[in-house]
Amino acid sequence: MLTLFRIIKFAFQDMARNVGLSSMTVLILVLMLLSINTLVVINVFTNEAVKSIKDQIDVSLYFNYEATNEEINEVKSYVGGFPEVTEIIYLNRDEVLAKFKEQQKNNPEVLSALDELGENPLGPTMIVKTREPKDYEKVIQALNVPEYENIIEAKTFGDTQKAIDRIHIITTQVQRFAIGLSLLFALIAFLIILNTIRVAIYTQRIEISIKKLVGASNWFVRGPYVVESLFFSIASILIIGGLLWIAFRLLDPYTAIVFQKSNLLFDYYLNNRYLLIGIQLGSVLFLTVVSSLLAMRRYLRV
Amino acid sequence: MIKLANVSKHYTKDSIGLDDVSLKIEPGEFISVVGQSGTGKTTLVKLIIAEEKPTEGNIEVGGWDITKIHQRDVPFLRRQIGVIFQDFKLLPKKTVQENVAFALEVAGVPHSRIREVVPKVLDIVGLRKKVDSYPHQISGGEQQRVVIARSLVHRPKILVADEPTGNLDSINTEEIIEILKRINEFGTTILLVTHNREVVNRLRKRVVTLHNGKIIADEKEGKYRL
Repeated sequence: MLTLFRIIKFAFQDMARNVGLSSMTVLILVLMLLSINTLVVINVFTNEAVKSIKDQIDVSLYFNYEATNEEINEVKSYVGGFPEVTEIIYLNRDEVLAKFKEQQKNNPEVLSALDELGENPLGPTMIVKTREPKDYEKVIQALNVPEYENIIEAKTFGDTQKAIDRIHIITTQVQRFAIGLSLLFALIAFLIILNTIRVAIYTQRIEISIKKLVGASNWFVRGPYVVESLFFSIASILIIGGLLWIAFRLLDPYTAIVFQKSNLLFDYYLNNRYLLIGIQLGSVLFLTVVSSLLAMRRYLRV
Repeated sequence: MIKLANVSKHYTKDSIGLDDVSLKIEPGEFISVVGQSGTGKTTLVKLIIAEEKPTEGNIEVGGWDITKIHQRDVPFLRRQIGVIFQDFKLLPKKTVQENVAFALEVAGVPHSRIREVVPKVLDIVGLRKKVDSYPHQISGGEQQRVVIARSLVHRPKILVADEPTGNLDSINTEEIIEILKRINEFGTTILLVTHNREVVNRLRKRVVTLHNGKIIADEKEGKYRL
């Protein structure tokens, strides 16, 4: 315990003597973590965007206006039997007409044409929602059977799969850029830590040689550098935590407008805090400990 | 006891530190190793404190075969051997007392024990009144006495002094040699590596002379003959 306390004391003495280099190391680690967190935020946005697009996708089945309730119910129970189908909304002829009029309220020509007809020309409509956009194809294929040919007048399916694919393409490119940036920062951090420890070893060569001369154990000589690595890691995690907190407080009001969800980023980080902190602390620790061990192996003969 | 059996140290093909050296130093002995520069005196010191490993032969220190000593065991050997160098190796930003205490701190000795031991060893070297001085505030002789005090805190059985008077004037040299003799009287084996003819001749102790990495003379009450 006493030895550990002295190792920590020597580590803090060294960091104070090389305060500029120590700050630079922490700064680079923070930049690396910032790029990793950019990746995480991009993922959150992508998932949320895809989810909201998926929510807007549905298949509309337009029935012939002569279709009977029995026939419509048969189609409803047939479609409802698919495990992929999550929701079926049925609109009768009057509801369809009302909805149509609402949509066309700024189009007096269409409304007057409807009035001239004197009767409701629209048949009932059934709106079907599935789990995944690709499932709509399956539903449409299943309804392409002769029994329903005379009942279902039209089937429409907005091809939003293309929009989803486009989102994926854009986000993949952004993710690749962020990964590249993270790797670059990781490399810079690795080199800086290597040099921080190297400079520390150089500036303390007399102290180190005296320690060895008077019988300090190998870990007593190496320990302070390991403690420094741990300190750099913890300091950078704490700083990034503070920066993210400020960033989310500023960003979340805007994301709430886009995604109709308040505290999207803040809640995501809060719900996944152990995983996110674990991964980031693990990667920073790995980087700092490996680089300092390498520096010690290369420059510190004990 | 220190025992070297047919020890050679070759740095490169043409650079030979020691060449087939056999030497036995009994407990409590005061032995001077003399020789011109580059004859292997410092190599001998480095081999005994396990800073270097021999190319051939065996080395025993206090019954411990350190020929192929593992790195993790070196600190335990160093705590049994006190070492003094010509360039003092003191920490400039620590006081006399802190420099001596440092040797105990790195070995994990509790503060209470440090407070007990440090004044005693400073008494032995006559520096009790300079405890709060920094190295640059005291003379070369006093700095070397601080180094001796530091080497004594672990109560070593062997004290290796590599040119301890190399940077000192004759008065300070005399003082350091007197301290070494006093430590030897307490039973500590002293291995003194020196160039100083006067010191060796006045000591009238065992003298080993090295030349080109070989022992060319080993006399019980020898003199500086080069």
